[in-house]
Amino acid sequence: MTTAPTVRTSTPEERFVAAFELHEGHTLNGSNARIQGLRKDAIESFKQLGLPGRKDEAWKYTNIEKALRHEYRVLAGAPLDEVALENLAPFLVPGLEAHRVVLVNGRFVAALSHIGSLPEGVIVTGFAKASEAHADLVNTHFTRYADFTTDVFAALNTAFAQDGLFVYVPKNVIVETPIQVINLTTGDEDVLLNPRSLVVVEQSGSLKLVEGTHTLTEAKIFTNAVSEFFVGPNARVDHYLVEDEGANASRIHNLKAHQEADSYFSTSTITLSGDLVRNDLHFLPDAENCETHLFGLFLGKGRMHIDNHTLVDHAKPNCYSNELFKGVLDDASTGVFNGKVFVRPDAQQTNAYQSNKTIVLTEQAQMFSKPELEIYADDVKCSHGATTGQLEREAIFYLRSRGLTEERARTLLLLAFARDVLEQIKIDALREHLDARIAARFAN
Amino acid sequence: MSYVDETAFLQEVADSDYKYGFVTNFEAETAPKGLSEDTVRFISAKKEEPEWMLEWRLKAYRHWLTLQDKYPRWAHIEYPDIDFQDISYYSAPSKKPKYDSLDEVDPELLDTFERLGISLVEQKMLAGVAVDAVVDSVSVATTFKEELAKEGIIFCSFGEAVQNHPELVQKYMGSVVPYTDNFYASLNSAVFSDGSFCYIPKGVRCPMELSTYFRINAAGTGQFERTLIIADEGSYVSYLEGCTAPRRDENQLHAAVVEIIAHKAAEVKYSTIQNWYPGDREGKGGVFNFVTKRGICDGDHAKISWTQLETGSSITWKYPSVILKGDYSVGEFYSVAFTKGRQQADTGTKMIHLGKNTTSTIISKGISAGHSNNSYRGLVKINKSAANARNFSQCDSLLLGDKCGAHTFPYLEIKHPTAHVEHEATTSKVGEDQIFYCNQRGIGEEQAIKLIVNGFCKEILAVLPMEFAVEARKLLDIELEGSVG
Repeated sequence: MTTAPTVRTSTPEERFVAAFELHEGHTLNGSNARIQGLRKDAIESFKQLGLPGRKDEAWKYTNIEKALRHEYRVLAGAPLDEVALENLAPFLVPGLEAHRVVLVNGRFVAALSHIGSLPEGVIVTGFAKASEAHADLVNTHFTRYADFTTDVFAALNTAFAQDGLFVYVPKNVIVETPIQVINLTTGDEDVLLNPRSLVVVEQSGSLKLVEGTHTLTEAKIFTNAVSEFFVGPNARVDHYLVEDEGANASRIHNLKAHQEADSYFSTSTITLSGDLVRNDLHFLPDAENCETHLFGLFLGKGRMHIDNHTLVDHAKPNCYSNELFKGVLDDASTGVFNGKVFVRPDAQQTNAYQSNKTIVLTEQAQMFSKPELEIYADDVKCSHGATTGQLEREAIFYLRSRGLTEERARTLLLLAFARDVLEQIKIDALREHLDARIAARFAN
Repeated sequence: MSYVDETAFLQEVADSDYKYGFVTNFEAETAPKGLSEDTVRFISAKKEEPEWMLEWRLKAYRHWLTLQDKYPRWAHIEYPDIDFQDISYYSAPSKKPKYDSLDEVDPELLDTFERLGISLVEQKMLAGVAVDAVVDSVSVATTFKEELAKEGIIFCSFGEAVQNHPELVQKYMGSVVPYTDNFYASLNSAVFSDGSFCYIPKGVRCPMELSTYFRINAAGTGQFERTLIIADEGSYVSYLEGCTAPRRDENQLHAAVVEIIAHKAAEVKYSTIQNWYPGDREGKGGVFNFVTKRGICDGDHAKISWTQLETGSSITWKYPSVILKGDYSVGEFYSVAFTKGRQQADTGTKMIHLGKNTTSTIISKGISAGHSNNSYRGLVKINKSAANARNFSQCDSLLLGDKCGAHTFPYLEIKHPTAHVEHEATTSKVGEDQIFYCNQRGIGEEQAIKLIVNGFCKEILAVLPMEFAVEARKLLDIELEGSVG
């Protein structure tokens, strides 16, 4: 009997489903029965939805199917590689005092984390631990905001999700010190990771969350992250994400937030490096008087592909949302912005602003911008704007006439452009750190 | 002002009936319902077309057959599937005379025009406007032809152009909108009945505004117009297209194709008023308007400008576009789209920048009332070759009710660093403070809303040719009036 040569013709979908069948019930097991039960529903949903192609409007400019054709192994089970404490040094923000959480390949690592003392009732831990120890809390919120029946990547994540970040802030508790989450990827293998985060802030609670993503490896890593946020009545969340991974690291960052009455949510997404980066930010201000802020700064270099996709789904009256995404595209990088403001029929008195500004530096770089408004209520004020261009010649000339070199003038103008977003960062140490890094990058 | 009054007024606006619903009874020769190669041959034979024309139609028809599973569904509109076998593809007035003067024209037809307030007689008196009236697909009366002929301008029906100027038709037809372009363009290429053809020779500035009036008339006849405008080097033409259609119960399909070619330093200004029957209050019976309009600035310094006022049709699906191929060429799009009742409009433009130093401007104003949905969908594409391209887009929406929707879907694709692209959009309702201000000066709420809406659209109405602007303003007022005179 001869063995036929193995021809690798399987599609990414088939590979993920096969991986699920392999790990399900063994390595993927946790002790939370609800999560176990949802995995099967999620993989079924994944099979039905399938990966989006170029014909899918939401993925028109990002060929995700092609990116996933690379044979990533789906990582399940315990972490394999040990990371030493000194490896963390480059990713710490100087001067930032924080409750530190470290996730390696999406797994919570207690030995590297330094959570310190938290206000009473606040929980900061790994998602796997929380789903055992705080099953009630997790079960109340898990999959409620990231709907795996409609979102294929939420489905993929839900099927494989094992660990990630869990934060709980009880009623009336203000967490003054920011929580810093350092996401590291490591190992020699090309893997697909599915980290899962859940952040719950109860009524009148307040939280500052600083996330960073970094790689310690040259291997190709694809991270399909899902973060669910519940922001209770009158609660406040300030969220910052710095995406700063290696040139072989791709990522889908799926943030789904649910806001209750009078709540405030602000998120800043700073994309500095990586290969393919897709940020999917969905907000549902589901009660009156919510405030939602979305800021983004994306700096493309090399052959980076950065796709920012946002949806603010105004379901109830009297809410405010503001969105500003700015980008600088260098080398042969590609930028995509697709922002949507959706105002449902009852959401009267909505105020929504959306703005996307991009500077394209080279002939190889390109930008696709699609700011959308879909409005079904009449008493609203909604506007959006988008501009794409290069640095103003007049502005450069002005600075040169004051004795600045061309280089200096360009750096200064680019930095000023980026600072519109950086200034929105309310944690001084983080803002100064990023400002210095970005200034150094523009100077090169 | 009392909120109730405003609501009641807007309600009436949204509910008001179509004012131009009537049917002209003149005999028409209509093809039996259904579409097959035989239908295409029948149309071609009826029009006594040469072999190459029939071949082209058949190619388009065969291509259309391959598109059946690619029925366009992406637009933000909802409608039942169209049974393409339940439509008659050809209808011509049976008395097909070639009149020398208007006196010989079927008096009933003249009456129709008069009731529309655009009588040919009056038009002729006004002078400066030549009218090529297309009633149900065949040119019935063509005026001012000789005067245009003196300048070497060809302005005739598409059918005549096929007979008399085959070299021009063969060269340019399908060069901007190929028969493979999209579902409805393919259908049109296969079964188009007639339309207008216009050629402006080198260096000629067309002495008058060219105008056609399209009317859908016989029951159950889809109208498939085809317009081809060629502006040779350094020429100028302003072309007007306006239409109103009689009341109908079944949906009428309209799938026109308009192609414009502007050579070096030529300028074409194309203005449209579209006021077809929008259906009754429940949205039943209106015209489906699926139009492909595109122009190409083929040479340097060419300019194409689209202006449209869209108030009719139950569904409008229309994106007048410009391909800016020549260096320093200019594309413009000015639009007012007004929807009420159950009307749905998904309209906008595409500006494709290929040449260096090309400029485009998009100004779109959408007004929604009743249960209607009004979307702007536009693409600005700056290609790798388009150095120093410049675009400015502005899309504003005004909502006149809480059951309607206003949407903006702009696509900006930039592949050159020197591009300068700006887009802005706003959505709001008529401000209570604005109405209050008018009330305070003794202006009633109805008058105030008219005033504000007119002001909102002013930028667009201002670029319409004079006669059209008058008609447009009147039309907007009537649309807003409801039954409150």
